[in-house]
Amino acid sequence: MLDWFIANKEILKLIYAFIIVFICFIIVIRTHRLFKLSLHQGIRYFRNAFLFYGLGFFVRYILGTPYLGKWLRIDALISGGIFAFFLMMAGFFLLYSLIWRKIESENKTHLSSLINGKILIFYLMAIVLIVLGGLWETHYFIFLSQIFVFSFAVIISFNNYIQNGTKGKFLKYYFVAMLLSLIAWALNFLVALYFNWDQAILSGIYIINLIIFFLFLFGVVRVARVK
Amino acid sequence: MGKKRERLEVIKDILNVVRQNRKVKPTRLLYASNLSPQMFKDYVEELIRKKFVQVELIDGKNKLFSLTKKGQDFLMEYKAIENFVENFGL
Repeated sequence: MLDWFIANKEILKLIYAFIIVFICFIIVIRTHRLFKLSLHQGIRYFRNAFLFYGLGFFVRYILGTPYLGKWLRIDALISGGIFAFFLMMAGFFLLYSLIWRKIESENKTHLSSLINGKILIFYLMAIVLIVLGGLWETHYFIFLSQIFVFSFAVIISFNNYIQNGTKGKFLKYYFVAMLLSLIAWALNFLVALYFNWDQAILSGIYIINLIIFFLFLFGVVRVARVK
Repeated sequence: MGKKRERLEVIKDILNVVRQNRKVKPTRLLYASNLSPQMFKDYVEELIRKKFVQVELIDGKNKLFSLTKKGQDFLMEYKAIENFVENFGL
């Protein structure tokens, strides 16, 4: 089975990316509509997270696929850097969507949620981590930043589940998605540090990522539907 | 003492009053919204800015509020928005 995965890994990566980009597209469209109606900042930041995830996977796995040929495809180093940047931004936005109420006023709406003072800090942090990773030729800065982000997200989502689990049925799955995200980032870190990018573990991470995105898709489509 | 209403809930309540009355005077809306005058002013300004309600001037001075298409859409989707915010801990 693993041999088959490895033999077909490029096409499988492409399918994997198309699924994730499609899921992100659906989530962004749906949440954008909810945001436009409600102007709710939490929905806005949640939407931005999936916008960045979608862009990241699109650049890394679709624009960076060897099937495009060497003249069309983006260089692996550049697509990898852009991918890491978008993934970090997405993680920051996802965490921020859970804590924004403690930082911003509910009634204040920024003209742009992608370019404003607070979000510039995220951009700055992501760029610094990418540059540090480039200088040291390591992925550890990215992995550790996301382990840190999702550790917080796990705690917050668990707290939300305990406090409001009876009101919001999806809070349990949200917590599971955050926990799986943390596990995926921890596995990424371990596979780079100790297991020399072992293909079996990487395949497992891809599967975990798919489960996470499908969980969010389920939540967005099911929970946010108009009855 | 009752639980403090969430912002979205207050908006829904105000819009519901406007919808039920089709056209409503500010004083009646203030009374029905159960808000302090300052909070009411802030919310109404926000609703006008977001184009959820529109203002008509009668005899050049008296205001009447009515619901816009966007306000009607909001009320239709309010439950979905509320569910979404609750279920995703936003």
